[in-house]
Amino acid sequence: MLEVKNLVKTYGNITAVDNLTFTVKPGKIFGMLGPNGAGKTTTIRTILNIIKPNSGEVLLNQRPVTKDLFNSIGYLPEERGLYKKSKVNDVITYLANLKGMHGHTIKSELDKWLKKLEIPQYKERRIEELSKGNQQKIQFISAVIHNPLLLILDEPFSGFDPINQQLIKDVILDLLDNGKIIILSTHQMDTAEKLCSEILLINEGKEVLSGDLSEIKKKFGGNHVKFGYEGDIRFLNEMDEVISFDIYSNTAEVHLKDEVKPELFLKKIIEKVTIKHFSVIEPTLNKIFIDSIKNPKV
Amino acid sequence: MKKAFTVAKWEFFEKIKSKAFIISLFLTPAIIIIFSVLPTLLATKESDSTKAVGILDFTQKYFFDYKNEIEQYKIDGNIPAYAILNNYKEDLSPDSLIKQADQMVIENRIDGYILIRKDAKDSIKVEYRSKSIGNFQDVARFEEAFNNLRIKRKLIEENANPALVEFIKNKVNVNQIKIEKPGEEGKGGFESVFFSSIIFILLLMMMIIYSGQMLVRSMLEEKSNRLIEILISSCTPKDLLFGKVFGLSALGLTQIIVWLIIGISLIGATLIPMNAFENIHLIFVYFILGFVFYTTLFVGVGSIVSTEQEAQQITSYLSLLLVLPTVFIISALQNPESTIIKVLSYIPFTLPSVMILRVNVSPIPLWEIAATFLIMILSIIIVVNVSAKIFRFGILYYGKMPTLNELKSWLKE
Repeated sequence: MLEVKNLVKTYGNITAVDNLTFTVKPGKIFGMLGPNGAGKTTTIRTILNIIKPNSGEVLLNQRPVTKDLFNSIGYLPEERGLYKKSKVNDVITYLANLKGMHGHTIKSELDKWLKKLEIPQYKERRIEELSKGNQQKIQFISAVIHNPLLLILDEPFSGFDPINQQLIKDVILDLLDNGKIIILSTHQMDTAEKLCSEILLINEGKEVLSGDLSEIKKKFGGNHVKFGYEGDIRFLNEMDEVISFDIYSNTAEVHLKDEVKPELFLKKIIEKVTIKHFSVIEPTLNKIFIDSIKNPKV
Repeated sequence: MKKAFTVAKWEFFEKIKSKAFIISLFLTPAIIIIFSVLPTLLATKESDSTKAVGILDFTQKYFFDYKNEIEQYKIDGNIPAYAILNNYKEDLSPDSLIKQADQMVIENRIDGYILIRKDAKDSIKVEYRSKSIGNFQDVARFEEAFNNLRIKRKLIEENANPALVEFIKNKVNVNQIKIEKPGEEGKGGFESVFFSSIIFILLLMMMIIYSGQMLVRSMLEEKSNRLIEILISSCTPKDLLFGKVFGLSALGLTQIIVWLIIGISLIGATLIPMNAFENIHLIFVYFILGFVFYTTLFVGVGSIVSTEQEAQQITSYLSLLLVLPTVFIISALQNPESTIIKVLSYIPFTLPSVMILRVNVSPIPLWEIAATFLIMILSIIIVVNVSAKIFRFGILYYGKMPTLNELKSWLKE
């Protein structure tokens, strides 16, 4: 279990992390969400002891994160890059060595991982000869090869095509079965929604929302419908029943006032546009994210 | 410390495999040989073939005697060093004679010619005219020969004893002998000491500058692709710093050893004077101390840069500090006991190169050697600590370079 208590980190006048407290349990993926510049990366760096917090404490299984725990931590930073001129095998061996692994274990684990991520043919190639996606896979391997207790992944899916995103997702879910503590930092809400069971939403270094995702959805509540249509739906602007709406290509998500019945709303709009499908939905994480950041009081 | 060793191993093997390193390993000694050994070689080695030299004597008083004087200089095998040719012809005007002789020089039929004439005040004027000016040895010989001739004639004119003539002709030269220990003579004059000192100082500088640049560049790479975050969550900044310094020092040692082998084989080929290696043990120690000192400094200071331009600025400032003592090389050789040299040999930045120089020039008391070693070791310890602190913050610092105040606050934490 990872416990973060009253974490504060300031840079001059700027408070990057403002009194954050949260707990990450093993066997679940913990999503750390927030807009750009919210303080996600600073929080991660503080957890990893890369930077020292002004105050607060970080405990991994009741022990402070110091150099003794370095070998139990795996980290995939947001910006990617490896020693370009060096060989895949050499780079991973070096980084695994630094995590306290030894010769033959590294060799067998490396072969296993290269196979799992479908790139065994690149073992003896130079990093710079690999495509961006494959370089990311190499970096992912270097974060997990030493079987860390705590794994922190900062935007692990960015830059991957959908097929490889699926591959990485499956690999992460596999890791979860081994009882790891996994923190996933992202602003891809749909991925977070599918993978994380607990989330922490931060903005300007402060906690905005936290807890079990399904409970958050319930609490956030509201009366939401989603429908597909053909035609012009600008009339939604004038309807009294509507609090807010988002339009995607030929689908709309509408937040209705609590007292409005969805079927009555459907009756009203069906006269004006062709409706292809209509459903009552829970608010998406995306919606919760936008609403909480834009109007924190709601 | 185990992780520092892992880092050192990585730094060493990754860099030793790089093409740039392999090229520099052989290119650097080649450059040094070209710039330091070759001039000595060319300046002191006697020419191995007879030169054709003309004499154009408008006074018509000197040709035969002067020819005899000059022909006394021999090269190997008792062959005269100069073949003398008379350029004077009675039926031509002085101007056309000069033109004709110049023409022969231009067409390489003679190496040059000696022009003897009277100037306005009726005194003798001698010129050596050739395509290249700078052949000091030839000119010195022609001068000596001509003066010998004049003195001889004057003495004979005055009816002096011929033995006196011989006596005056035999000049005594002052030889320079360097004393290392009582009763033990060192070899080599100014030039060879100068060049052997220069070789080591140049080697030290090139090595430090080269590896410093390599180091700063590789740290920049680690910083810009955030590999540094992976490294720092795997080992402590101190491990990383030590690892880099160890790795690079090992690399430097490899370089020295390769260069020494090249150097020793060149001595075998009598290209480098042996005395360049007389104090090699001391030079070696100063070399290593200087290298470790500057490398640590480079790691600390280099950690704060985040662009290629800044990296270049920083490395060139540091290199400047390193190169500074070369300004004092000549004065150190002429007067190794001067105050400024003494002062510079106690400042850690200039100490290694100044001491390498002094070790070559004059014997240094044991207490001074011990004191300079101690200063260097202490400075290295201080620099390691300061660098480690700057490094801890620097590697995570992006954007414009930190101000001095920021640096101060880093040092305090």
